[in-house]
Amino acid sequence: MGSLAGAALLVGHPATAAAHLVTTGMGPVYDGAGHLFLTPEDLVPVLAIALFAGLRGPAAGRRAMFLLPPAWLMGGLIGSVLRVGAPASTPALSFLVLGGLVASDLRAPVAWVSGLAVIVGLVHGFGNGAVLRDGAGTLGLIGIVAMSYVVVTLVAASVVSLRVPWMRIAVRVAGSWIAAVGLLMFGWALR
Amino acid sequence: MSGSRRFLLVLLVLLVLVGTRATVHAHESQPGMLDIEQLAGDRFEVLWRAPIYFGQPHPAHPELPASWTTVAPSTVRELADSQLFRSIVSVGRAGLDGAVIRFPRLESTTTDVFVRLERLDGTSMTTVVRPTKPWAQLRGERSWRASAADYLGLGFHHILQGVDHLLFVLGLLLIVEGRMTLVKTVTAFTVAHSITLGLATLGYARAPLAPLNATIALSILFLGPEIVRRWRGETSVTIRYPWVAAFSFGLLHGFGFASGLSTTGMPRAELPLALLFFNVGVEAGQLVFVFLALALAKAFRVLELRWPRWAELLPGYTVGSLGAYWTIQRTVILLGVLR
Repeated sequence: MGSLAGAALLVGHPATAAAHLVTTGMGPVYDGAGHLFLTPEDLVPVLAIALFAGLRGPAAGRRAMFLLPPAWLMGGLIGSVLRVGAPASTPALSFLVLGGLVASDLRAPVAWVSGLAVIVGLVHGFGNGAVLRDGAGTLGLIGIVAMSYVVVTLVAASVVSLRVPWMRIAVRVAGSWIAAVGLLMFGWALR
Repeated sequence: MSGSRRFLLVLLVLLVLVGTRATVHAHESQPGMLDIEQLAGDRFEVLWRAPIYFGQPHPAHPELPASWTTVAPSTVRELADSQLFRSIVSVGRAGLDGAVIRFPRLESTTTDVFVRLERLDGTSMTTVVRPTKPWAQLRGERSWRASAADYLGLGFHHILQGVDHLLFVLGLLLIVEGRMTLVKTVTAFTVAHSITLGLATLGYARAPLAPLNATIALSILFLGPEIVRRWRGETSVTIRYPWVAAFSFGLLHGFGFASGLSTTGMPRAELPLALLFFNVGVEAGQLVFVFLALALAKAFRVLELRWPRWAELLPGYTVGSLGAYWTIQRTVILLGVLR
């Protein structure tokens, strides 16, 4: 019962917006792009959705590529207005769900990929927005969004182009690791 | 909608978008320069060249160590592209070695600062201060590797911050067809800008900044119609021999790169090293951009993207519109300079 209450608290509790963007010395757009690469909580879900979309084929890859970045931008703008961090459990939940989907290679319809891309974009963008308001601002957000577009496009296309069966299995193994990290993050938060 | 109307619409949108941001000036990435020269004993002349930043005086200013005392009042000279602060200080008995000079507010800019220390015994030290590490520690001679890494980073930053240079490279990529033509075009651009970068850095040639920036913008505008022509399946000299345009305009862009490598006061002995590694940094940045653009183009093919007509034309119109906007803007600046 206690664990259940702890989990509920974890899921609902907003994260403190204390993080700062990395300073590249090249302006806020590059700071935003650098942020995505240096923040595993944001980068891994982007990679995971790209892997999952790639496993589901070109149509799913296209959906992820066109839906995740605008959703991230929208979430970021909303987050910068409301100034409330995303729930602390967001990264763990994203790791667990998306990693699980990649690992299981679930034969989900393309609409699922679209929905997941929008949800991941909105939630993670929302988390960024609260932080960006005091830092790099909208230009930083544009840097994050542009980099998420590049990552999703390149990774999804790489997975789509895989022809050797064992390489698809390697992608699924990567998904299982992502899910395992998500599980560990949950365990750590509940200890 | 006719082609010219669409062009005007895109141009208008871009003008509004760019115009809402702070006034955009020709070269925001010019480095600053702090020159410390020993006059006698503990007396040093401190020269701080603060580049004009987005049309305003630069927000950063060097903060000298508290133990240093000013012995002659500071003077300020207003130059066309910078402000020059001069003062004479006494560094006291503690000397200069190990002293730290900070640059408050540099971290909120994209400006790199060259720091040069020259002593009466002929020894000198140079270093580059970045917004990511806005301070310099004055020490003895540095290893060539440390200086090389500084210049490499400077070149890499300069190309990636130079939207005009990147847009020109993108324009070239959009008109090039076939691997061999691509290699020839990128090589021609590299060779051409390396030549003028070298000539300008070594002091054999010089291009005034205002007309240079206007001409660089014109080179981008020139590519816009060529991209659209290529998309329509038409041909031209530029489409058949893109390396000719790459080489010709590359010569201009090289002068532009040279503005990122301020050699004012740089020790002569360090010039070849600075030139080599700055150029390597520029090439590395350019290659990263080219590979990224090509990888994205391949990813679009793998994901079987079918672009609508307006989206296929967008890159050409964007390159042309931005080129036109910068040409007009920089010509206005040029005329302002001439008046």
